[in-house]
Amino acid sequence: MSTPIAPPPDAPLPWGSGPYSIKRHGVSLTTCESEPVQAPGCIQAHGAMLVLRLGDLVILQASENSAEFFGETPEALAGRVVAKVVGAEGAARLRELIDREPVEGNSLHAFTLPARGAAGALDVCVHTVEGVAVVECEATGRGEEIGAVDYFRGVKAAVGRMQAANGLREFCRRVTEEVRALSGLDRVMVYRFHADLHGEVFAEAKRADLAPWLGLHYPEGDIPRPTREIFKRIWIRPLPNAAGPLVELVPLANPDTGRPLNMTHCALRGASVMYTEYLANMGVAASLTLPILRDGELWGLIACHHYTPAHFPYQLRAACEFLAQVATLQLKATEQSEQLVYRLQLEGVHQQLVAMAARDGELMALTDRQPSLLDAMEAGGAALYHLDRWWCSGKTPEPAQLDALAEWLNTRPDFTSAMRPVFVTDSLARDYPAGADFAAVASGVLAVPLSRTRRDMIVWFRPETLQTVNWGGNPHEKPLVTGPNGPRLTPRRSFELFSESVRRRSLPWLNVEVDSALRLRMLVVEIVVTRSQRLAELNVDLTRSNEELDAFAYVASHDLKEPLRGIHRYAHQILESAPALDDENRKRVEGLMRLTVRMDSLLDSLLHFSRVGRTTLELDAVDLNEVVEEALEMVGARRSDGTFNVDVPRPLPGLHCDRVRVREIFSNLLSNALKYSAPAPARIEVGYLRPGEPAPRPGAPAESAGHTVFFVRDRGIGIEPRHHEQIFRMFKRLHGRDDYGGGVGAGLTIVQKLVQRHGGQVWVDSAPGAGSTFYFTLARGEAPAPP
Amino acid sequence: MIPGTILVLEDCDEDFETVSDSARRAGVTHQILRATTGDECMEILRRGDSLPALVLLDLNTARSDGRDALRFAKSDARLRSVPFVVLTTSANPRDLGFCYESGANAYHVKPVRHDEHLRVLGEIFHYWLRAVALPEKHEVPTKNFNSTPR
Repeated sequence: MSTPIAPPPDAPLPWGSGPYSIKRHGVSLTTCESEPVQAPGCIQAHGAMLVLRLGDLVILQASENSAEFFGETPEALAGRVVAKVVGAEGAARLRELIDREPVEGNSLHAFTLPARGAAGALDVCVHTVEGVAVVECEATGRGEEIGAVDYFRGVKAAVGRMQAANGLREFCRRVTEEVRALSGLDRVMVYRFHADLHGEVFAEAKRADLAPWLGLHYPEGDIPRPTREIFKRIWIRPLPNAAGPLVELVPLANPDTGRPLNMTHCALRGASVMYTEYLANMGVAASLTLPILRDGELWGLIACHHYTPAHFPYQLRAACEFLAQVATLQLKATEQSEQLVYRLQLEGVHQQLVAMAARDGELMALTDRQPSLLDAMEAGGAALYHLDRWWCSGKTPEPAQLDALAEWLNTRPDFTSAMRPVFVTDSLARDYPAGADFAAVASGVLAVPLSRTRRDMIVWFRPETLQTVNWGGNPHEKPLVTGPNGPRLTPRRSFELFSESVRRRSLPWLNVEVDSALRLRMLVVEIVVTRSQRLAELNVDLTRSNEELDAFAYVASHDLKEPLRGIHRYAHQILESAPALDDENRKRVEGLMRLTVRMDSLLDSLLHFSRVGRTTLELDAVDLNEVVEEALEMVGARRSDGTFNVDVPRPLPGLHCDRVRVREIFSNLLSNALKYSAPAPARIEVGYLRPGEPAPRPGAPAESAGHTVFFVRDRGIGIEPRHHEQIFRMFKRLHGRDDYGGGVGAGLTIVQKLVQRHGGQVWVDSAPGAGSTFYFTLARGEAPAPP
Repeated sequence: MIPGTILVLEDCDEDFETVSDSARRAGVTHQILRATTGDECMEILRRGDSLPALVLLDLNTARSDGRDALRFAKSDARLRSVPFVVLTTSANPRDLGFCYESGANAYHVKPVRHDEHLRVLGEIFHYWLRAVALPEKHEVPTKNFNSTPR
């Protein structure tokens, strides 16, 4: 038993000393949690109670008001057999029930004690608990205005209507209607507990003039834990007159055991002051409460309120109990069928999403189309991380917040597990403090990874419950009523206080939602895998076609060069063997030879270019100052020989790059700078700009931002802006074949290729007569640059 | 002194003529044998009583090519000491690597310019037939066994 009937004898009692009695101690309590609601020591004064020893049915305790019902004071009744009160026949009936029927913790109607004098007819019920028999007596109320009610027929029809309901909410609405029809009470609600134990008015039937409470949420504290525990063990809790008097059992403790009576199963059990005040503050005069269980846990309550004191005769109670039991039995099936409907709906949308993504080959379809991730799951926002960025829909945290969250998720064993990789929470800030910053949109998080190596993932967000529900008793909506004992005992004394219990929390995720997210993940991963297989195949194709290109370039160079060599040879021989050749023909043959030589260099450039694009870079720590020196030597120039001047105003930084390739970049650019400075002595500057250094970089592509930019500047003839793009094209020359030292026009194309291989960009800033500056970045080389 | 032979693997007639021209200009007296396929080249090497003083290899010929001939010769104990000079159009680093790894003694890219082509060949003949010291005679092993040990 999770809640003890009485605290251990040596523990200090919250109410002082001795057995507890609401009448004596009720208002001295500060918290509902410590109140012994099962053993209140008092019963509601509209009935009377006798506690009998099981073996001989001798009266051990009797309620204070015994004289009104039985004509004898409790003191007079103590120690006498029950037959003295209910007669021999009644005692025999009690004996029979106790011995033969399942009365332990289950109150059964034993008989009706006929009216005697002032006391009307009494319904006598009995149950046993902890070694005693508890006899409860209440006025039947029959024979008067409601004596002829046929509860059985009503209940039978009600059950039929309830079973025909479609969906959980509809089912609960019918429950409220049927209970209200049966009981005639002003307001009947189905109050549903959420996983965090706060509650919601899920269905309601009420007198037309009353304000609706449907959809209102109440904090967990409104129905304290001891009360919830009792509701797992009883079927009904009647309180026909909340403001009515209470009477104590005399004596308060069982004289045989010294323990107070466990009144869990008593219809007459005295109500907590907390509860009666709670009702009074709402203007409620009578209440009838029935639990709805699922798998032994309290799922909800059928809560009935009446605004005037009521009468709940045994037969009405039995009928309502029966409806509550039907509701309990029916609930699971209804909930399952509703979950099935939701599951099917989720699956349906997810299937559509996956089909869309598979068709497009892109996962973005999950967030930016109809339907989207948000159409299936009940969430406020969804985010997909894919292709190195976030794709969001609905209300989500900012991308930077998502980045940090993703990083944190990837450290969690549940999110990264192989079997069931999912992270689910209804209170992110509890596990992830930074989540408090965006608790309003994302207190609830359901996340599944899509890739183990990258951080691709799908995350759904649920807003903070505070943002989404109507809180019953929100002081901003209606004035707070202070109870007769001051605000201390008013169940909901401040909105701030109880809203704390749901701060940074969302509605919990259902199992069906988590399962569906995992299934969606599997389907999406399949697409991703299929796609990466296709990529792998494409890569194989590409490798093959690269090899074919290589072979082609090779064959082209070889097979085209062989005849070329032959042509050159014959031309050469003609010149040698025919000295008498006239000038014109001599020039023609010389032209033939020149053309073959030119074609040879074109073939060489083509071959070189094709190789530059395909060979693997060999990255190493490289001192660019040395590289520039070597490049100068390659272009056949010495810095000091007077025909030109190369200035490196500050030492170049170290880089992690392919030394040979970068040298080729510099040698090509330096060679161009030399060429196009002629005939004047070339003045060339080689330098660099660190990221953020304020320097003009006209024409810089956006991708170059944040990288070191190298440049080679000359004071040569310059290039018209309209040619700035063309110059990087293969074999593109802006000048005559033999002007400016000739050349095939492949140098800049090769520079561009080499720069691209290093993850960089190359561009030019130039104008005719103003010289040219070639800029380039080498992004790949920057990472582990030596100091 | 019996003039030796030079074996030339070359399937292009013009290029072979250039070899012959160059040899004549350089005053080479060796007999020049020509093979146009790798198979033919290997056959000559296998059958010949005496070994050539120099082998000039083009790499890309029809059917089995210069690479096969090179690999064959350099894996044969009898042929291993014969200088094999590759003379080809290809400047592909992969070919260069392959040839040197297979034991080629030199690698030259054929120039397209005829005068340069002649000059390269002239240098090859000068270097391998005159400048370099090589084992005195290339003889077949049987003869080696018959000779009187000193």
